[in-house]
Amino acid sequence: MLQFPALSHLNLSGLILRLLLGSIILLLIPDSRIQLIRSIGPRTFLITFLYSPFFWIEFDNSTAKFQFVESIRWPPYSNINLYIGIDGIFLSSAVLTTFLIPIRISVGWSSIKSYKKEYMIAFLIRESLMIAVSRMSDFLLFHVFFESVSISMFRQRKIQAAYQSFLYTLSGFVFMLLAISSISFQTGTTDLRILLTTESSEWRQVLLRIAFFASFAVKVPMVPVHIRLPEAYVEAPTAGSVISAGILSKLGTYGSLRFSILMFPEVTFFFISFICTLSVIAIIYTPLTTVRQIDLKKMIAYFSVAHMNFVTIGMFSLNIQGIEGSISPMLSHGLVLLAPPLCVGALYDRHKTRLVKYYGGLVSTMSIFCTISLFFTLANMSLLGSSSFIGEFLILIGAFERNSLVATPAALGMILGAAYFLWLYNCVVFGNFKPNFLKKFSDLNRREVFISLLFIVGVIWMGVYLEVFLECMYTCVSNLVQHGKFD
Amino acid sequence: MFDHDFLALFLEIFLINATITSPIYGVVFSTSKRYDYPPLVCNVGWLGLPSVLITILLVAAGALVANLFYNNLIIDNFTYFRQIFPSLSTASTIPTCLDYFKEESLNAPEFIILILLSICSMFFMILAYDLIATYSAIEPQSLCFYVIAASKRDSEFSTEAGLKYFILGAFPSGILLFGCFMIYGFTGVTNFEELAKIFTGYEITLFGAQSSGIFMGIPFIAVGFLFKITAVSFHMWAPDVYEGSPTLVTAFFSIAPKISILANMLRVFIYSFYDPTWQQLFFFCSIAFMILGALAAMAQNKVKRLLAYSSIGHVGYLPIGFSRGTIEGIQSLLIAMFIYVLMTINVSVTVLALRKNRLKYIADLGALAKTNRILAITLSITMSPYAGILLLAGFCSKFYLFFAALGCGAYSLAFVGIVTSVTSRFYYIRFVKIMYFDTPETWIIYKPMDREKLLLLAITLFSTTSFFLYPSPLFLVTHEMALSLCL
Repeated sequence: MLQFPALSHLNLSGLILRLLLGSIILLLIPDSRIQLIRSIGPRTFLITFLYSPFFWIEFDNSTAKFQFVESIRWPPYSNINLYIGIDGIFLSSAVLTTFLIPIRISVGWSSIKSYKKEYMIAFLIRESLMIAVSRMSDFLLFHVFFESVSISMFRQRKIQAAYQSFLYTLSGFVFMLLAISSISFQTGTTDLRILLTTESSEWRQVLLRIAFFASFAVKVPMVPVHIRLPEAYVEAPTAGSVISAGILSKLGTYGSLRFSILMFPEVTFFFISFICTLSVIAIIYTPLTTVRQIDLKKMIAYFSVAHMNFVTIGMFSLNIQGIEGSISPMLSHGLVLLAPPLCVGALYDRHKTRLVKYYGGLVSTMSIFCTISLFFTLANMSLLGSSSFIGEFLILIGAFERNSLVATPAALGMILGAAYFLWLYNCVVFGNFKPNFLKKFSDLNRREVFISLLFIVGVIWMGVYLEVFLECMYTCVSNLVQHGKFD
Repeated sequence: MFDHDFLALFLEIFLINATITSPIYGVVFSTSKRYDYPPLVCNVGWLGLPSVLITILLVAAGALVANLFYNNLIIDNFTYFRQIFPSLSTASTIPTCLDYFKEESLNAPEFIILILLSICSMFFMILAYDLIATYSAIEPQSLCFYVIAASKRDSEFSTEAGLKYFILGAFPSGILLFGCFMIYGFTGVTNFEELAKIFTGYEITLFGAQSSGIFMGIPFIAVGFLFKITAVSFHMWAPDVYEGSPTLVTAFFSIAPKISILANMLRVFIYSFYDPTWQQLFFFCSIAFMILGALAAMAQNKVKRLLAYSSIGHVGYLPIGFSRGTIEGIQSLLIAMFIYVLMTINVSVTVLALRKNRLKYIADLGALAKTNRILAITLSITMSPYAGILLLAGFCSKFYLFFAALGCGAYSLAFVGIVTSVTSRFYYIRFVKIMYFDTPETWIIYKPMDREKLLLLAITLFSTTSFFLYPSPLFLVTHEMALSLCL
């Protein structure tokens, strides 16, 4: 009845189990042996990362089916099975996850003073959950794992932000759970592959679509419920968990792509105008509101909101360019948008403040930092040749094809974002040095430079040759578009 | 002619004999001058535990299906599995209370004996197949409870709790009895099977009532039962009693009687009086239950009161299962019941372990994460299923309940259930906040707990966390129980 998946070398559940195994081993090591914890934890991540490209290499680009499929039978009488597989849309993003998380750990490591073991274990479990999320084809389980990821995020210092994010995500959860249950009772299953072949009445579809939207809007985040994200960003202790927040919102867009667009294609058309309006509002409003922020992390958080809404515009243009374009920022986001938090983290570790007005003239003391952050600033402005350029370009093309009225303000948002990033860079790096506030000066150390270099290589590689990433998702995306008869 | 019947009641006979021998032992030796009047509570406890364990073995070994004593008692799959629950809960209560007696220097071997006696009557209650048998099994059980609620004679709270429990326990017994009279008076039978024959297709609707006596009788019975499981609007005694009586009594109260009474309720209302009219009663009761449990628990600041309210709320989820009388609903109820027992054992063991220095307020848990890290993690994991955090057993149970509710069209019930379980997360976070993030002025250092508690904690924690990996056995067993009840 229960088939435990073997730990073979090419096995998705093996990947997840390996991480869990690592966390269990860590659990058994006493706290005092920090050196051992430090060596085992990252090694587990490293092994996971080294395995994940195999999936990429072995992946068959010519089909939209799930690949590397495994299933475990779950409770009898209800067709909820632990069905693991991966499709083209999320393949590269999943590989990227395994790449990014070890980096996060190593970035955040030195600034974590207590609970180091728990920190590591939390990350291990979180990564395994994230990998699991991206591989669930059953959307009840997708949702459950998704929520578990957000709950494992709940370890921030200030409780206020945690309360907020908790309640926000949960409000979405309520509707989602009801929608899932009602679907499962209509059809008898929650497996996406089977659900795609079923039909439900239009009225029902509208209700379900609203429920799904309510859930994903919180995660993406759309405009009225985006407040959670900046708060969570600010309270996050290190660069490490800042980035996880970024990945979560990506999972949100991914979920809405796979589960709501694919499932309710007819109704999606009714919602396009609504969602696009919300996204446009966010795109215009958030860069404007970033300018009046004084906290570095908050700025980046707001910018990330703008970016995610840009992605939703691409997604709801419902053509191949738009959707591919909206997936590729998920990849480039991982590198580009998450690099500034690293920089902010580096600044924060040195000076213990995130307020912009204390910074200035860093160019005279931290020259390597300034060079690297210039690179990332430019990449965030989607400079030609950086990874975010192609994605945004595709999104704009897709949006134009669907509706040029939406594309115009979206393009305006790009300008605003660029202006804001230049302004920020100017504030921090140039101008008068403020020695009254900043007493110690040390440039980036070797580890930080190394990590940044990894990011830079990734950004340029993607920017020049995004084809590698796009080709594995092409079949999937075109299948999606055809399924919904969007063209 | 009773040969067969006595064989079928072998385990009850054994348990009664064991219970009778231990007071003789206790009385004789604790009053013996030769041994210097030893406090024998632990010895009696260690005698009682194996007798419970042997009873469990006997339950497990003797799978017999029979109607006993002129159809007054019944043994089928439902009763057979059901008896294991109370025995397990006793088997967990006894080892936890031994340390308590030692610490409080409370020499009350009668406590153990009363617990064993109440278990006997619970067995009979589960077996009961007749209104008179039901009532005569409820009464000894309640009598034992009145005594143990007031067992700490030097504490004002305990005596007050005992008095309250007595008054508010005798009252519903009266109501129940009145209901039974009405039913008997207007039908002339008390046996469940005969009642079931009468009530098949009877339709007790308000205006189409063929007999107002029956229409009166059933609500009286229902109210009597609801009082006993601390249903909302009949719950007023519960928080006071739970708070006032000694902690281990609280632990026992929140588990054992609820199992037996729910078992009997299922028997009465699913088998004998199957009718949509009273189902409405449970429907509204369940809604009120959940709302009060979630809201009132939020306002509590004493640990035991909070546990009382969360237990009220949690039991409130159970009537969802049988408010529509589907097999799936009953199955989900049984699953939820089992998981509730596990979780409640875990929480109450934790609270017992933190008893030194009188853990009274939730704020006393401050900095528990620093003083006793494992306990803090355990408590936060165990509290989380109360709130329905994902991937833990509590979530599975609640989800299956909502699933069943949606399956039989009780949409509002599922909606309220999900909303309340979301709001109840609020107080769960409060626990975590207090334990992990607050630094109170006085740190309370708790004594390390003894081995029995540790073992219990470990078992229950493991089973709640790893439940979702392999839920099939429980699903199968509960399905069988539900089937044998209905068919």
